[in-house]
Amino acid sequence: MPLAVVGVSHETAPVDIREKVAFGSAEAGDALLALRKEAGVDEAVILSTCNRTEVYLFPVREERPIRAVERLLAGKAGPTPRPLGSYVFQEWGEGAVRHLFHVSAGLDSMVTGEAEIQGQVKEAYQRASTLPVFPPMAGPVLNRLFQMALAVGGRIRSETPIGEGTASVASVAVELARKIFGSLKGKRVLILGAGIAGELIAEALTREGVEGVVVATRTYDRAVNLARKHRGHAIPFEKIHEALPSVDIVLSSTAAPYPVLTRSIVRDSFQEPRRHPLLIIDIAVPRDVDPAVGDEPEVFLYNVDDLRKIVDEHVRTREGALPEAQRIIAAHSEEFRSWYASLEVVPVIQDMRKQAKAFREAELERLFRGLAHVSPEDRERIEAFARRLQNKLLHDPTVRLREGMAAGGGPGLVDAARLLYGLDEVQAADERRGRDERAALDEEAPKKGSKPDPGVP
Amino acid sequence: MIHFLAFLSYIAAFGLWIFLLVRGARGRWAPLPSGFTAFAAILHGAALVQFWRAYGELPLVGPGAALSSLAFVGGVALVAVLPMREVARVALTLLPFVILLQGVALALGIRPSPFPLDFQGAGFVLHVALAFLGYQGLALAFAAGVLYLIQHHELKGKRFGRFFQFIPPLAILERVGRIGLWLGFVSLTLALAVGWAWTVQNRGSLEMTDPKVLWAVMSWFVFLGILGARGGKGRSEYRSALAAVVGFAVVIGMYLALRVTEGGSGLFL
Repeated sequence: MPLAVVGVSHETAPVDIREKVAFGSAEAGDALLALRKEAGVDEAVILSTCNRTEVYLFPVREERPIRAVERLLAGKAGPTPRPLGSYVFQEWGEGAVRHLFHVSAGLDSMVTGEAEIQGQVKEAYQRASTLPVFPPMAGPVLNRLFQMALAVGGRIRSETPIGEGTASVASVAVELARKIFGSLKGKRVLILGAGIAGELIAEALTREGVEGVVVATRTYDRAVNLARKHRGHAIPFEKIHEALPSVDIVLSSTAAPYPVLTRSIVRDSFQEPRRHPLLIIDIAVPRDVDPAVGDEPEVFLYNVDDLRKIVDEHVRTREGALPEAQRIIAAHSEEFRSWYASLEVVPVIQDMRKQAKAFREAELERLFRGLAHVSPEDRERIEAFARRLQNKLLHDPTVRLREGMAAGGGPGLVDAARLLYGLDEVQAADERRGRDERAALDEEAPKKGSKPDPGVP
Repeated sequence: MIHFLAFLSYIAAFGLWIFLLVRGARGRWAPLPSGFTAFAAILHGAALVQFWRAYGELPLVGPGAALSSLAFVGGVALVAVLPMREVARVALTLLPFVILLQGVALALGIRPSPFPLDFQGAGFVLHVALAFLGYQGLALAFAAGVLYLIQHHELKGKRFGRFFQFIPPLAILERVGRIGLWLGFVSLTLALAVGWAWTVQNRGSLEMTDPKVLWAVMSWFVFLGILGARGGKGRSEYRSALAAVVGFAVVIGMYLALRVTEGGSGLFL
């Protein structure tokens, strides 16, 4: 199968190289048009994300398109510490098919199973499909390949736990909050300290609908700035016990060398036993919250190790899904190979039909020459009979040819069919006829008074 | 026969819920337990309709028939929550109760009571239907309460395995439990009121020593106790869930005790 993918990914190139060869949406469109113009590429799709820039090409029967892509990437990258070629990978034929299926399913991502790549693959495919050029850059083969890749990605995500759970601490914190509160809309959060990790979690919680944000840091001005960012309000650090009864989530990431929340502070802050749960996420090291706080009823306390434990659990679950995902990819790769193989037989089938039609028309003409008395209605009946007979005779060979190619019949089967049906003669006759027609048109042109090209002597 | 098929379908549905718990709730298998649960409830409904057509009376009297109808109310409650994806998972704890009821009903024989009723009519049907709704409301609160306690245990113990993933959030379970309890309490209160009015009208007085009357009144007080445990100052959601589980166990325990000691009439469920 003359299909290839050429590019760089997080497995072959560091980020400083990847960022140099990354294409924006408009740039990718221009690059595709350039590949068509300069290297005569029929079909191409550029997939460019922060983890990869890959160019899918079809058909690749010579080195020229590959060299063109390498030149394109080198031109985009500019000077690099090593020749760009040392970062570039290539996959051919079914290897390229499997590679795209892996990419689309998130198996080739830095975080196995991440879902964002599916959308990026779709975007790359749609960009190539909608470029104002004919024939389209995502022609029949790449069109089918990308459609199938998106379906494979979707199937693997829905049938295996590959995308189950989240693999970042911030997302895990949100997951925990959801397991306690269901929806986070309208929940109140108290942020202690202004650590970066804490801020990331706060942002993730705010995205989920957390509304009342209260911030307390050792430096009141920093608290005010952070509160403004999350549309909340700041309180002096000494007054956190006053805020505790009214919040649902506490997020702590101070740099204090001792616990800032002890069991007595928490217990004293509640005027009466707490009815609703309180989630405390302590991501500070050393810990901000005394572990004994977790023994309080309705208080759920998690530290950074607990969050990592969930992340590890998710990663294990995702890795456990790999064999099943590989099985799905293998099945779909085979399906694509069969489809492509059946595509190779299409010109043979077209020639067979063309030949049969020519025979039918010639024989009918000879028949009707000797049957001048046949009425027009009977003539139509005889013609319909001949068409049905032709279709019946061709039906089984056509189906078997397609099946044979799908089962790996290869070029031998195509050659055998051409030989048995004498199709090379049909092709030669077609070419002769084409040449004759062009010659006739060339002769006609001056007669119609068209002006000769001034550039032609 | 259809009763038995419904029983088997409930068991199959429960097996599928367990499968989903073990395998993870995703993929083409995910809708199967809900589908089977709905199928079992429809089959059960058809079996009860067949009973009514065959005997010319509603399956509300006689232990077997009444228990089967009570199980059916549980099946209907499950079907009602099936569209709510996460809430539907209470099937994991409610289905065993439905299966148990239907199993006991089959063992006792689902047939009309051999004892003629003193009086029937719309009041009787309303009374029994409301009572069944009341008990199933408590069963729903129990099912949600059990899941709440498990999820609470997983969260407190920092265990993030299959139970943590599968069981709905605490807040959702709390809400389901609350709805089940209030629905059950109101239904049982109405059932008692209708039953009292209907008996007094037809018989002149209500015999409080009748085991089914005794059980219903005691159940009503259990409901009151659970709601009190929920509503009191400083009562945590955890304690509310615990109260629903314990309360349900008390109601079942009372029923079994009364059946053993007072169940001679043959009419008592």
